[in-house]
Amino acid sequence: MSEHNQKNQMQGPIVVKSVVPKNRQDLIKWNGWGYNDSKFVIKEGPEIYFSGKRYPIGEQRLPHIYDWAKDVLNVDLATAKPKKIQGLPSEDLYPKPNITAENLDKISSLGISYSTKVIDRLIRAHGQTLHEIYTLQNSTFTRIPDIVLWPTSHNDVVKIVSLSNESDIVVIPFGGGTAVSGAPECPHNESRTIISLDTSQMNKILWLDKENLIGCFESGIVGQDLERELKQLGYTTGHEPDSYEFSSLGGWVATRASGMKKNVYGNIEDLLVHVKMVTARGTLEKNCQVPRLSCGPDFNHVVLGSEGSLGVITEVILKIRPLPQCKKYGSIVFPSFENGVEFMREVAKRRWQPASIRLMDNDQFKFALILKPESTYVALVLDSIKKFYITTIKGFDPDHMCVMTLLFEADEADVKINEKNLYNLSKRFGGYPAGEMNGERGYMLTFVIAYIRDLGLQYEVVAESFETSVPWDRAVTLARNVKFVITDECKTLGITHFLINCRVTQTYDSGCVIYFYLGFNHSGLGDPVVLHNRLETRARNEIVSCGGSISHHHGVGKLRQKWYPSTVSDVGVGLYLAAKKQLDPNNIFATNNLVPPSKL
Amino acid sequence: MSIVREYDNFLDLRRQETSNFLWISKRWDPKIAFRQGQSRPSPQFHKEAVLNSPKIQELIEQISSRSNISKSVLEHQVQDILDEIGYEKKFKIIRWLGLMLTKICLTVLSGIYINVEQVEQIKNQMGHCPVIFVPTHRSYGDFIMMSYITFQYDIEIPAIAAGMDFHGMWGMGTLLRDTGAFFMRRTYNDDHLYWTTFRQYVYQLVSKGDLPIEFFIEGTRSRSNKSLSPKYGLLTMVLKAFFFSQVPDIHFVPIGVSYDRILEENLFAFELLGVPKPKESTSGFFKSMKILKESFGNIYVHMDKPISVKQFFGNKVDRSVHNLGALHQQEVTDEEKKLLPSLAYEILNRQQKVLVTTVFNLVSLILNNNLVYEKDLLTLEELTKDVQWIRETVRFLGGFTHSTNIERSINDCFNTHKNLIRINRNKKIKIVSNKISHGEINHKKLKGHLLSDETMTYSVPFVTLQIYVNPVLHYFVDINIILVILSSKSMNEDELFENYHFLRSLFAREFITLAPKDKTVFNTALNNAISLNLVSLTNGSYQLENNEKLRYLIVNTFNAFYVSFLTTLIVLEGLPDVTDEKSILTNAQKLLENSIEKKKDIIHPYSLNLDTLGNCLNSLVDERIIQKTRRNNKTLYEIYRSKLMEIKEHFVRIIPKYYVEESCQITSNRLQNKL
Repeated sequence: MSEHNQKNQMQGPIVVKSVVPKNRQDLIKWNGWGYNDSKFVIKEGPEIYFSGKRYPIGEQRLPHIYDWAKDVLNVDLATAKPKKIQGLPSEDLYPKPNITAENLDKISSLGISYSTKVIDRLIRAHGQTLHEIYTLQNSTFTRIPDIVLWPTSHNDVVKIVSLSNESDIVVIPFGGGTAVSGAPECPHNESRTIISLDTSQMNKILWLDKENLIGCFESGIVGQDLERELKQLGYTTGHEPDSYEFSSLGGWVATRASGMKKNVYGNIEDLLVHVKMVTARGTLEKNCQVPRLSCGPDFNHVVLGSEGSLGVITEVILKIRPLPQCKKYGSIVFPSFENGVEFMREVAKRRWQPASIRLMDNDQFKFALILKPESTYVALVLDSIKKFYITTIKGFDPDHMCVMTLLFEADEADVKINEKNLYNLSKRFGGYPAGEMNGERGYMLTFVIAYIRDLGLQYEVVAESFETSVPWDRAVTLARNVKFVITDECKTLGITHFLINCRVTQTYDSGCVIYFYLGFNHSGLGDPVVLHNRLETRARNEIVSCGGSISHHHGVGKLRQKWYPSTVSDVGVGLYLAAKKQLDPNNIFATNNLVPPSKL
Repeated sequence: MSIVREYDNFLDLRRQETSNFLWISKRWDPKIAFRQGQSRPSPQFHKEAVLNSPKIQELIEQISSRSNISKSVLEHQVQDILDEIGYEKKFKIIRWLGLMLTKICLTVLSGIYINVEQVEQIKNQMGHCPVIFVPTHRSYGDFIMMSYITFQYDIEIPAIAAGMDFHGMWGMGTLLRDTGAFFMRRTYNDDHLYWTTFRQYVYQLVSKGDLPIEFFIEGTRSRSNKSLSPKYGLLTMVLKAFFFSQVPDIHFVPIGVSYDRILEENLFAFELLGVPKPKESTSGFFKSMKILKESFGNIYVHMDKPISVKQFFGNKVDRSVHNLGALHQQEVTDEEKKLLPSLAYEILNRQQKVLVTTVFNLVSLILNNNLVYEKDLLTLEELTKDVQWIRETVRFLGGFTHSTNIERSINDCFNTHKNLIRINRNKKIKIVSNKISHGEINHKKLKGHLLSDETMTYSVPFVTLQIYVNPVLHYFVDINIILVILSSKSMNEDELFENYHFLRSLFAREFITLAPKDKTVFNTALNNAISLNLVSLTNGSYQLENNEKLRYLIVNTFNAFYVSFLTTLIVLEGLPDVTDEKSILTNAQKLLENSIEKKKDIIHPYSLNLDTLGNCLNSLVDERIIQKTRRNNKTLYEIYRSKLMEIKEHFVRIIPKYYVEESCQITSNRLQNKL
């Protein structure tokens, strides 16, 4: 903690007890998404449930999944046998750590907690891409870290980095492990010792400055801990990426994350006031915590999106906000996706966005209905009346209509005005308000949907999501063209049962974000990871051809390197490499993210 | 090469049903090309979208501020232009026309044959991206057939790009428009507002429309019944939507439409010889209705597998070049334009390949050779034998003739074409010749020389016959060139290819090819020539073989084209450095008219045709021997003399001697007088 900050400090550092234990596998699946106790389970019948009480659909029967899986994915959950997935790895599944006794001595003399156990190393060897999860379940990684270190402070990190730089040891920072770009993966051919620097024990709230509405946090704090602690103090950062239960502050900065409620609170780059990054040359930081700075190129933007390749992010000063007086959900149905996008564009033009505004396409809207729990009789009747009204009276075509979900966070009066404005405006685009419940369910599903891949994997169905940002006028054609390309490529690959749907998840003045879900049945078609790779590559090529970006918030990692040079120009690649060379002359942060190693 | 093709006669269905009326009033729920959201776009929707597009709105603002015309006046102008261009859909009219057409077809045609299986496949694939029908264009019938067939197979009737000359025909313009035609002005001028509106309209139909679109890549009806060089205007407008990623792909469906007898055969013969094309008028149309009392045999429509432009261009196109900047301010790039010829020629080549060869094409091929170059006329038996013989050769080279009973098909030809061929009292087959005398003709309106009544009377039947020979020539052209070259002497492959390449380039317009330098095409032709026993290889040297009958046929069939080319070269040689097109054509036709008078057994009257002479000039432009410019509404050519001499020398050196001697004589006699 810097000297000059001390007087602003309201209290001593808050030592946060994280929900995620140091032994991650005690709470979180070691080979899938999310909590151990939360998953889709199939019981006799078949009856499908979502287990656990953590989410509102927990322990409720989900009767619609069965038919849907059969129709769309050609999986009969009654008769199909779930695939056998390999168990927790034994010590001899992976080679012994590649580390000299001398280096191990040096490391242990730092007095920082470490482990060379296979399970600890394996759990920190990956993120959450399909390729990584599929490898965990079915085979082995070519390379995993040799040793895991748990620093508890900025100074610990300084010591680790300096030792690594002297001894030519590789450091790969690890936060929440939710990356979907392949960023945390070890390069296959790295012959040096690899340290996995796990930031999870470095998760204190160092200080809050209520006068200036900022707080200083250690980078290992995960989203739900941060929000829970701040909430107790009456504050929020408002940063809520879909992964926020598990992802860490350092990861957000390193990937340029985006939160669901960015319309009110801003994306990570808007929230970030100051950041410390430990590089091989020392710590990159500033001497002030000002709201804006005209002082040459902004080096915050060297840190943001650095994906672990330039240094370790240790301490971040973020803006905080008082908790909103009112939080309210909403939803609007539109006769077609095109109408919905036009409405969103108009909302963005007027800058009327509530905290979150999202639009599901027709397929995703239908998919959301599949996850509806069995309702009571009254609810069913109400539902059918509403359905009758929308499809018959309003003339909506069930195969074209789609739904928009809204989240308001503000003073009650402001929310009321905002609601009224939006619902009125939506009428001009054929929209029709569809209630708070549908909105709330929509957001809840965002968290649950991540679990469904693990169910599919047991029945030869793989699924993945990918996203892009695109100018307004190209959004609809981009979505349409990507679906066309996927359909076309599935035909080529012999894939007969698949789904490709999308939603618009963020709006900006000049464009929006589109998030795609892709899933397919690969039974009898060979390696699903290879198949999926082909599909995703074609989809990304099409996205780029349609004016979309390589990524809005998932980052580049290793998965999207192919499109990095054309995105930033050759000069841009050179600029990045120059920075890399300056900050990390020995390439100890050898993640190979962004630019492939051949260019280094 | 054996090809199995299946065609269904869809007129049989009409003949079998008890009521055509029931069929024509069937429920209409067609397959559309490119689904667009929830509701189907209407013709009016497209016009409004064009008017309100940022492209047109910005142009209106520009013109308004530059020339001080109010924006509302300009908007009205655009609306008028759009009303002139835009298609309509009147379903009652479509049904009534369909009924009328059915009655007519049942009277004058034996069959309309279609490869139904492929049509069904195309139909099944439709719905996900724009589909463009690109038929051959060798008769007005093409328009009608395509709409008729799509109606039959429940495919949405296409929006058809039509020339404004149709629009002028009283009543016809409206009728065509109501069935889905949209109109394009033929004259190219600087009317920026018109052309921007037209381009935007096509862009709108492709990217936001759901109808299939139909256009003719050759830009006009081919009077010669062979493929013309492609036009790129509409193709560019259509592809723009793909280059700009406004559509995920575009499927081009090459379609070959062939006729046992072309409605306009006589008209085409006159036009080819230079009689000015009468403006399409309704009286002209009703005149052609009279013809419909006659027999027109069969029509064959073959729809080929769609070409996906995405697959076809593959990595060659980088659509992300349009990512920066507003789309409506961007244009198709030069790189993208460079890709167009490969696609255009692919479409044309596919059209040629799928086009059904009619029995009369083969009959014409045999008769044409017999009537001009051989002493003894053929009997029906001899003709039948020869047709069966050449049918095998054409089949070997990839052509498909649809006939289950060749004797009967040949007999039918004498009924269908009784205006052109008949069997005389001596059982010999003769060409039918009618005396032609033209009245007053305004010389200024002629493109070339006014041929004498005598020449016309003699030439018109032969030119008409040649129209039916022409569609099979692309199977023979490469072999012909090899045979012509080897007629002068034997040579090794390198020398042969060099000469082949030279002649093939000169004929690149007449027998369209994008790649006259293509070694694989040459090799295929050479191998075919060897297989057909036309050429053999000894000690590394190629020479003629003993299949003389086929060789004479192939060589003779192309004589007219060599004569036209040589004449063009001779005429250019004698003319001033800068000469207008009409002088060249007039001199060439004059020269040829004279030589025909003297040497009917050597010079085929088809050599007089302006289409071939024009192609010669265009080829010389492509080869940079002459340069084309336009001044005061006149087409002028600048002649690069030394290059011309070089070409001529090379040409004379490799083509058979007798062409040269005959033609040179004519030069000294005639051209000097004129100059």
